[in-house]
Amino acid sequence: MDIFMNLTLSGLSTGMMIFLLASGLSLIFGLMGVLNFAHGSIFMWGAYSGVWIYFRTQSFTLAILTGMMMGMALGWLAERTIIRRVYGRPIDQILITTGLMLVLNEVLKAVFGPNIIAVPIPPLLAGSWELGRIIIVKYRVFTIFVGLVVAAAVHLILTRTRVGMIVRAGVQNQEMVQVLGINIRQVFSLVFMFGAGLAALGGVMMAPAIGAINPGMGLENQMLAFIVVVIGGMGSILGSALASVLVGLAGVYTAWFLPEAALAVNVLFMTVVLLIKPSGLFGMGGEQNR
Amino acid sequence: MVLVLILAAIPLITSSRTTLNLWTEIYILGVFAMSYDILLGYTGIVSFGHALFFGTGAYMTGIIIKNTGPTLSNLLLAVLGTLFLAVVISLIIGYLSLRVKDVYYAMITLAFAELFFISAEKWRSITNGADGFSFQVPSFLQNRVVFYYGILIFLVLVVLLLRRFIDSPVGRVLQAIRENEKRAEFLGYDVLKFKLISTVVAGVVASLAGIAWALQQRFVSTGVMAVDKTIDALLMTTIGGTGTLYGALIGSGLTTMAKNQLAGFAKFNPIFERWYIIFGLLYILIVLFFPGGIIGTWNRIWTKK
Amino acid sequence: MILQLSHVQTFIDQFHILQDVTLEVPEGEVTVILGRNGAGKTTTLRTIMGLTPPSGGSVQFRGEQLNGLPPYAIARKGIGFVPEDQGIFSNLTVEENLSLAMRKKDGATRARLQFVLNIFPDLEYKLKQKGESLSGGQKQMLAIGRALVNDNRLLLIDEPSKGLAPIMVEKLAQAIREIKQHTTVVLVEQNFALASAVGERYVIIDDGHTVREGLMSELLQDRELLGRYLGIKSNLSNGKVV
Repeated sequence: MDIFMNLTLSGLSTGMMIFLLASGLSLIFGLMGVLNFAHGSIFMWGAYSGVWIYFRTQSFTLAILTGMMMGMALGWLAERTIIRRVYGRPIDQILITTGLMLVLNEVLKAVFGPNIIAVPIPPLLAGSWELGRIIIVKYRVFTIFVGLVVAAAVHLILTRTRVGMIVRAGVQNQEMVQVLGINIRQVFSLVFMFGAGLAALGGVMMAPAIGAINPGMGLENQMLAFIVVVIGGMGSILGSALASVLVGLAGVYTAWFLPEAALAVNVLFMTVVLLIKPSGLFGMGGEQNR
Repeated sequence: MVLVLILAAIPLITSSRTTLNLWTEIYILGVFAMSYDILLGYTGIVSFGHALFFGTGAYMTGIIIKNTGPTLSNLLLAVLGTLFLAVVISLIIGYLSLRVKDVYYAMITLAFAELFFISAEKWRSITNGADGFSFQVPSFLQNRVVFYYGILIFLVLVVLLLRRFIDSPVGRVLQAIRENEKRAEFLGYDVLKFKLISTVVAGVVASLAGIAWALQQRFVSTGVMAVDKTIDALLMTTIGGTGTLYGALIGSGLTTMAKNQLAGFAKFNPIFERWYIIFGLLYILIVLFFPGGIIGTWNRIWTKK
Repeated sequence: MILQLSHVQTFIDQFHILQDVTLEVPEGEVTVILGRNGAGKTTTLRTIMGLTPPSGGSVQFRGEQLNGLPPYAIARKGIGFVPEDQGIFSNLTVEENLSLAMRKKDGATRARLQFVLNIFPDLEYKLKQKGESLSGGQKQMLAIGRALVNDNRLLLIDEPSKGLAPIMVEKLAQAIREIKQHTTVVLVEQNFALASAVGERYVIIDDGHTVREGLMSELLQDRELLGRYLGIKSNLSNGKVV
């Protein structure tokens, strides 16, 4: 029973952090049709810069803010200089964002070194509560909390603001939004920046959870995010949320029984979804007019 | 033709083992890059899983020879085994992933690549995990000069074969698919079947390159299956020029030589350790502004005259 | 002339869809674009709107050149577009669809919204419901309504009667008659009955070329033209079909 609780908590926690990474990816792809292969690198940069600040200031809050800003800055820069030149050209997008990923990863290694860096959990969030025989790790609860807050915030923005409305409409039919006189390119920049910021936040959150950061964590987690986005459907925040939880739980539970198969199980889910309903469980409908 | 003669003359000029090794590496990676070009440059598919074919070839060779002895017959066994595996794997993965759009295909191949990589890592009993293992090569291949010529011949053969493939009716259909997939479909071509053929050809050639690599290095580790290797192929092909076959060779030459030279400079300044950054930036610039790569830009300069 | 197209050419991929389109639209009237399937009628509208930019010729709106401007800029000049598939955002409510379209939120806009709700009362009653719950006819109303909430001087409507029941088509005709009092309308229609009922001028496009333009009343007498380009065989000399 206690193992079950532990695993579930861990799975939800992981799921939430993947959600932060995947939601941005999903929106960016759903709205702009850009599959950002550099998303994981931004996640990683968020983690590294957050950790760097934390080591210098001992303030986790500052770390989170730094991470997010780093993410948004990178996102803004990338969109401005590179991404906007390849809208509507999927192959070039993949190629370009892969190049971006390469450069970001290598610069990261040059700046921070290629080795694993250990990251402690901030004292305030460390430790666990005990409920009888069940141990509840505080940090995991914190990540779940943050994830839920972000999900709620994103939902509110999407449903209650004009920008959110534009995004929801644009995911469905980008051309029509333009025809209504709205410069959707500006919204693209915003969404890209915001998605990048979320990814970076995910990175900062994940660092203490795993206890270490390394230059491979970008690609690793991006893989999971891809799987989530495929399963949940491009452009659907709800889909991303549910799929993240699924992937998080599946990964953690499988790892408990058969560590080698953890990734395989999620890849299997992804393959099944791709074969049956390529637009994902909550997909907004792939074909867009571009 | 002239070029081949020049290259063939190299061992006569220098007896430096490092130089010979360098060129052999260039040829092998060149073959790997060319196989990637078949997918990217000629069919218009972006795959992130190409390294798994390369790695399969390398591991097959290493494992069989290590366990059964470094003889010619065992090497042949390894080659046959690799070819068989390459075909089967490419068919399976191809069938599962080619039916979806480009972007999803890229993601799925990445996922499969990761799976293979992790399997290689975890299956320590056979692969010795991330540490890898070394092995002896059959005696007739131990002489570096002989090996050099062997690989050169291998390279020439592959170039000829791929050229014939591209110029064949099948190859032309692939190029049509790259240009405009919908149109090819309307014209009645079974796009999936052709993409599958392309995948199998590319996969097989890549696995052969993997075999050659293992023989050259006399060592196999998880590095051969890593996504990095696929990205290397991507870089080489793009920088050299996609859709030209020779571009892949030029790209390989450039990249491999740079790797070696710049690593030497690292003694002076640590920035050179991250020479990848330069290649990454170069790559981005090429995709944005010089889509033909080196060869494409060269051609354009010539036609302007 | 509120809209002038002069020797416009448009390519889609390598297909030369519009080869030579020249037409003029007088302000305050309903001009109908007629022609066979695939003649280039929809492409003409899309070219005006900048969705498929022209590669030759000029598109002028109230004296300004529209060539090369992005669609959103063209829309902001005061042109509303109702595409063939209506372009309703099915996951947004009727209210949101209309709100999204509004460029300003002032009194004038609210008045226009009221006007829209008056001519399309169904929309008022379905305000809070998602676009996907609307019937075909209601979607069409919403699509047109969206184009009306702004101070648009020109409305481009592509085959609005497609798939609508006859009674809806009648409502549509009434709506267009009301609309044209404030806004110039360019209508692409295959349904000749509707076209001749509301249209004052016509333009026939065939194979990417403008074949003829003129007054609708004249067209109704010209059996040869009707037969050749529109496939209409019967005698419609009385002109009144709706």
